[in-house]
Amino acid sequence: MNGLAYLGVALAVCLAAFGSAIGQGIATRGAMDGIARQPEASGDIRTTLILALAFMEALTLFSFVIAILLWTKI
Amino acid sequence: MGLENLQHLLEHVRPTVLFHIGEIPITTTVFNTWIVMLILFPTAYLVSRRLQARPRGMQNLLELLADFFNGLLEDNMGKEGRKFLPLVGTLFLFILFLNLSWFIPDMKPPTTDLSTTAAFAVVTIVLVQLIGIKKRGLKGYIKHFFQPSPFLFPLNLIEELVKPVSLALRLFANMFGEKTVVAALFLLFPLLLPLPVMILGVIMGLIQALVFSLLTVVYISTFIQGH
Repeated sequence: MNGLAYLGVALAVCLAAFGSAIGQGIATRGAMDGIARQPEASGDIRTTLILALAFMEALTLFSFVIAILLWTKI
Repeated sequence: MGLENLQHLLEHVRPTVLFHIGEIPITTTVFNTWIVMLILFPTAYLVSRRLQARPRGMQNLLELLADFFNGLLEDNMGKEGRKFLPLVGTLFLFILFLNLSWFIPDMKPPTTDLSTTAAFAVVTIVLVQLIGIKKRGLKGYIKHFFQPSPFLFPLNLIEELVKPVSLALRLFANMFGEKTVVAALFLLFPLLLPLPVMILGVIMGLIQALVFSLLTVVYISTFIQGH
């Protein structure tokens, strides 16, 4: 039974990282397209991008915290 | 086996009680925050004591920072945004120094403790709500919960309640994660292997401080202008 719990810990972080990596990739691609087309708007785009990335990053980190909590319960 | 490894790992991150003042236990978190304050306050005082029209050295750096945040505040809420510069700048500098205190040997950065980040988040959010009440009046503030339509009241309420939680957890989990990964790599193979992640930690510390102050600006500006 413990083995499955370890699997859960690993899967929690891995799946969350998978999803947010894809999301961040798409967001960064959009931002880069925007900067390439309109270099004068790069300042605005950069701050918005950092904010958006932080929101996505947070989801992975929530699952990381849950994984650590789960690990201490095993 | 697993639990022992984890305990060993978390020893690098968990705050420990150093000494007691009366009945109050003083943990490494509090003590390290004092150390960072001792570094930060004299530095800020020395840099800003003799301001010159033609800046030199550290003054350049601070003016760059102030200019950046001024621009950000004015973009988000116009001329009146400038008065929030002290709040946002202090949050940025303090969190940056707390994050980077990791690189003082044998130091647990205070931001790896949820208590520190929760304190930051609660202070920020209470202030944001107070600014909202002051700007819109109590009636307007309550009304904004029912804004697009009354059915959305639960959603609006949850949004306001989740703000501090996500602020605190984001900063905490980022720094805690960095530190844990480095500790794990250190257990595997101590020579040079943790170094790339530690370099990432420098960038992370900067970005997280920036994100915290950016989010503060965004939360304030939702109350200054419409939703």
